[in-house]
Amino acid sequence: MTPSRKYDPAAWQPEIVMERFTLANGLTLFVLPDHRLPIVSLQIHYKVGSRYELPGITGISHLFEHLMFRGTATMGPEEFSRLLQSKGGEINAFTTRDHTSYFENLPTEHLQLGLQLEADRLLNLKLDDENFQPERQVVISERKLRAVDSPFGLVEEQLFATAYTQHPYNWPVVGWDQDLHRLTLDDCLAYYRSHYHPGKITIIIAGDVEPEQARKLVEQYFGQISAPPAAPEPKVVEPPQRGERRAVVKKVSQVEALVAGFHIVGLDHPDLYPLDLLSVILSGGKASRFHQEFVRPGKAIALEVELPPLPFSAQDPDLLAITAVATPGQPLPKLEQELWASLERFQQEGVTSGELARAKKLLRSQAVRSLSHNFFRGLLVGLLHLKTGDAGLANRILSSIEAVTTDDIHRVARTYLKEDNRTVVVLKPVSPEESEALGPLV
Amino acid sequence: MAYNLPEIYQATLPGGMRLLGVEYDRAPWLSLTFMTKRGAETDPVDKPGVADWTAELLTLGTERRSQLQLAEDIESKGASLDAKSGWDATLLNLEGLAEDFSELMDTMAEVVQTPSFPEDEFPLLQQRRQAELVHQQDDPREMANLRYLRLFFGDSPYGHAVQGDLHTLDHLGLADLQNFYRREFSPATATLVVVGMRTFARVQEEAARVWGSWQGQGPASPPYAATPENLGAPGIYLLDRPDLTQSEIRVGHLGLPRTHADYFPLKLVNYILGGGGFSSRLMTRIRSDLGFTYGIRSSFSFRRAPGPFTVSTFTPADNTAQVVREIQAVVTEVHRNGVTAQELAEAQSYYVGHFPLGLETSRGIARQVLSIDLFDLGTDYLKNYCEQVRKVDLKSAAAAARDHLYPDQLVTLVMGPASRCAESLQDLGPLKILEEI
Repeated sequence: MTPSRKYDPAAWQPEIVMERFTLANGLTLFVLPDHRLPIVSLQIHYKVGSRYELPGITGISHLFEHLMFRGTATMGPEEFSRLLQSKGGEINAFTTRDHTSYFENLPTEHLQLGLQLEADRLLNLKLDDENFQPERQVVISERKLRAVDSPFGLVEEQLFATAYTQHPYNWPVVGWDQDLHRLTLDDCLAYYRSHYHPGKITIIIAGDVEPEQARKLVEQYFGQISAPPAAPEPKVVEPPQRGERRAVVKKVSQVEALVAGFHIVGLDHPDLYPLDLLSVILSGGKASRFHQEFVRPGKAIALEVELPPLPFSAQDPDLLAITAVATPGQPLPKLEQELWASLERFQQEGVTSGELARAKKLLRSQAVRSLSHNFFRGLLVGLLHLKTGDAGLANRILSSIEAVTTDDIHRVARTYLKEDNRTVVVLKPVSPEESEALGPLV
Repeated sequence: MAYNLPEIYQATLPGGMRLLGVEYDRAPWLSLTFMTKRGAETDPVDKPGVADWTAELLTLGTERRSQLQLAEDIESKGASLDAKSGWDATLLNLEGLAEDFSELMDTMAEVVQTPSFPEDEFPLLQQRRQAELVHQQDDPREMANLRYLRLFFGDSPYGHAVQGDLHTLDHLGLADLQNFYRREFSPATATLVVVGMRTFARVQEEAARVWGSWQGQGPASPPYAATPENLGAPGIYLLDRPDLTQSEIRVGHLGLPRTHADYFPLKLVNYILGGGGFSSRLMTRIRSDLGFTYGIRSSFSFRRAPGPFTVSTFTPADNTAQVVREIQAVVTEVHRNGVTAQELAEAQSYYVGHFPLGLETSRGIARQVLSIDLFDLGTDYLKNYCEQVRKVDLKSAAAAARDHLYPDQLVTLVMGPASRCAESLQDLGPLKILEEI
């Protein structure tokens, strides 16, 4: 590419080039070559998250993610991280409702080491009480951080617990406190055997690597690992909600707030694109409806529509959540009333073509910016494959956004943002004394 | 590992403002940052928040466009404008698609050069800030950070909250913001950083067109680089928060300015002490061995004047005193005995190996260029960076640990339920109970 073309936006191609390989043991590998910097993003996505759990062992997927760093037959606790970090790597992992993902963003020259260590901990993880007990305490501290002591953590937990009566999205990824105390090492060993094998793995290698070279390396370290026969996927369908549900959480707080959730669709449904655009029209940016109507004039501290962006959208039908935080001194019921009135106008009048164009360009620019990052391109391909079986979706996002019409927005607003489909959880502030009288916070 | 380091181009615009640019080819993206090298440290003692509020007010209307018009025009390009003050600098950042290069350059110039300071927006801004500060009190980590700075720095320039303070909100008027703007926004203290899919020649041409005649006013406040006096006395302080289940813990002392000669040895020592995640001693001891916390880290906040060195963590309240004791022991050990050869080699290879990962995104590159300019590190800084890291030896690392960690000077703040931690904290020495800071 000549220097002038190199810096010409019109010459840039958004398409992610990917090559797919499937090993005999069922492991899937995608290679996304990009040779501009000598770095790679290595990602191991396991098809296991909180939707694979059962009541009584909630939080085990996430706790297990922690245990994967506690060493193997030949490596001490956290030595995995220390060793790869000392090569310049960014090492971490995260657990969601649908998957558990481990990643190493590394200089290319250490890719082989990354694969070797990932295969080692898949095969030879050291699971004993000495590792298990402190890590359980770490996760209990993490739960307190994320849920109990955070401003809206318990409210968000209550939202999902109220909106889902049968589907496992009912409980938080970090798990319920009682289950974290009750889980045993044997539970973890059983979980390990069921879910940590090649049939549940998608590996992504994005960056400075040739596909064939990557395939050989993955074959070398993962090819000989056997996989048990595939187990059926849990398929729980949350029944349609038949009327608004409400709950109250009392907690020491300086503000009154509510979180409302509307059941929508899962990642494989085309309505996700108009819903994404709808959320940008309502609360994305300072020209958005909610910012102009509520936040700028001081009626609310925050009024946000929250929908996880692609590829983080949930596999099964998720909630579109609206968080409304009242300005101190202004009653929450009034804000709530005005919020529903605003949504009703939205449903009746629809959107202007200008609003839709703004939202489309915002989503397009966010997508373009993210594509510069090996890590993000890898997540896009890996998570779309894992949750829908169609990695090619990654290259159709921009056109799917572009194809949405004002009629589509109008339709999804009327279909999903209905009172009967709504769950509302209110945060009601109490004094420390009242809070204590209500019992321990867990 | 052979790769091309990004060239940092520089030029002085006709009006005297500095322009720095990096040509970026990974995505058709553009990151524009206007920086004036004065920030929240210039806030008057009784008016914290002036610098940061001014930054936001600039985005709320120009002579040509209202808040709504400006937001609509920017967002209809898929771009975003963000403005804030920090310590030592105030930044306006405009990011968008490279195809909109000229419009984005025009917009940044318009926002900085011709703000209208709309009278109807100021009371709304004040009201929003008040509500946000009230809400901030529900965030234990943020409150512990702010309370610690206050406890540690007192009335010196780094001691207040950048966003303002609930008790002094009413002291701020529109005129304060206009004065900050007139004084601190001028070509003499300003730099425009452009990282994006455009050649520097094109950037320079466009920047000269839109910035060439900008004069500003000034004179700017003298840059703050002094060592603060009247710091909080060493000891253990407890702020009772009966509603929390975990204690927030901050432990620290005064650190160094960014330009100190021991920057690199100390950066490596801190990685080993508590900056390097699972490679650090604090994480190994307090999380991996004891299971007392989900996270713990230490950092030197390097600024123009000496910033704080701080260890930050949280733990279920019953563990509080044990965690404080363990932190003291780890800091003391590194201070006395330095680090091992293996630890140093691993810290060095981390920073050298990680270096190209910081060059992936335009924002990551812009952040480095801004820091280079703010602290006068030289445009060859990136070229010399790995060499500077490799040059540190065991002796200089041990000297840095000995000279710049002071285990007997630690100021410790615990914010948590006193009923569950006060008694055991008293075993560590005199405990000062704070009502408020």
